[in-house]
This record gives sequence, C-alpha cells and structure tokens, in this order.
Amino acid sequence: MTVTKSRTRVPLVNQVLKNAALLFGAGVFAMGVGGCVQLAAPEKPIEINLNINIRQDVLVRLDKDVRDLVDKNPGVF
Amino acid sequence: MTRRAKLMVAMSLGVAVFAAASGHAMVQGDKSAALRASGVVGEQADGYLGVVGNAPRSIREQVDALNIERRAFYTRIATDRRATVQEVAVKTACVIFQNKVREGQFYMLPDGVWRKREGAIDLPGYCG
Repeated sequence: MTVTKSRTRVPLVNQVLKNAALLFGAGVFAMGVGGCVQLAAPEKPIEINLNINIRQDVLVRLDKDVRDLVDKNPGVF
Repeated sequence: MTRRAKLMVAMSLGVAVFAAASGHAMVQGDKSAALRASGVVGEQADGYLGVVGNAPRSIREQVDALNIERRAFYTRIATDRRATVQEVAVKTACVIFQNKVREGQFYMLPDGVWRKREGAIDLPGYCG
C-alpha cells in the first residue's frame, strides 16, 4: 500500500488559517483604536477589621488557656 | 570482612538511621516553626498561618492542614470558656506574635499587609 501525501491543503486547515488571520487582523485593529484592557491590583491593601466582635475582658480571661495551648502544641503553633 | 568489621559497619548504619529518623521526627514535630522559617509562610493576626506570595503546593497544603488543626483547638477552648472562636484565635495570634515569630519572619496585622519582624514586633492594640 502506498501512501501519498497530498500537495494541496485540507479544507479544515484552510478554515483554521482564515480564522487565525481574522483574529490577528481584529487584534491589530483593536490596538490601533486603543482597545486594550488593563488589569491592575488595587493600590490600597484590603483592610481586615477584626475588632468588631472582640471583647477585651474575654481576651484577658483566655490568657492562661491560650498560653498553655501554644506551649503544649509546638508543631501546630 | 572480619566479624569485628561487620559489627562496626552495622553499628554505624544503625546510628545513621537513628539520626536520620530523629531528624525527620523533629521536623514533623515543629511543622509550624519550619514553615515560618521557610520565608513563604507567615503568622496572621486572625490566628492562622498564611502564604506570602507564591509558594509550592506542598507548602500550601501543610498550611491548610495546620490551620484546620488550629481551628479545632480554638473551637474547643471557645466552647469550654464561653468565648467566640474568633476571640480565641485572635488571642492566640497575640501569643504567637510575641513568642513564635522570629526576627526576619513574616507576620500580618489586621491591615492585611505582610511585614517582616525587625526588632520588637508590632502588636494589635487588643493584645494588651
């Protein structure tokens, strides 16, 4: 069985090339009319407000338990 | 090889294996310290570990696993002491900031900005 390689491009390849050329042309056009999309991170860091529901007297009450917790679990804390 | 030589080789191997194993155990036991020392993990004011910038997936997974353990501890204490989980977590962060974050390691205050410890650490006001 002989295999012959076609000398003409397959219609599907033609379609792909045409689409690519269209996209490229559209991109060039968009750049030309200033159609670039900018992605920028916000200048100010995101504020994390933890103070809303923290009771000072509770924090004082927790002091011993929390210190013991950290001392006894060095791998986790 | 003489019997004596064989014995020496066996003992050396045994010591080497023991050293390697205990070294591994030490890393296992001090996971959080190792992560803080890695340069890509920091302590957050909310009581949990956070990743600083890009870090490999293995680091992220270790951070997630430890945070899950922390939350379990916080929940238990919160129930026992009639506090909120957040209050326990935040109090723990105060202690961690003071006692565990070393010079040059990362921490994050409630403003969300990663800082490196240089000298005395900045503490949130409610730490007392």
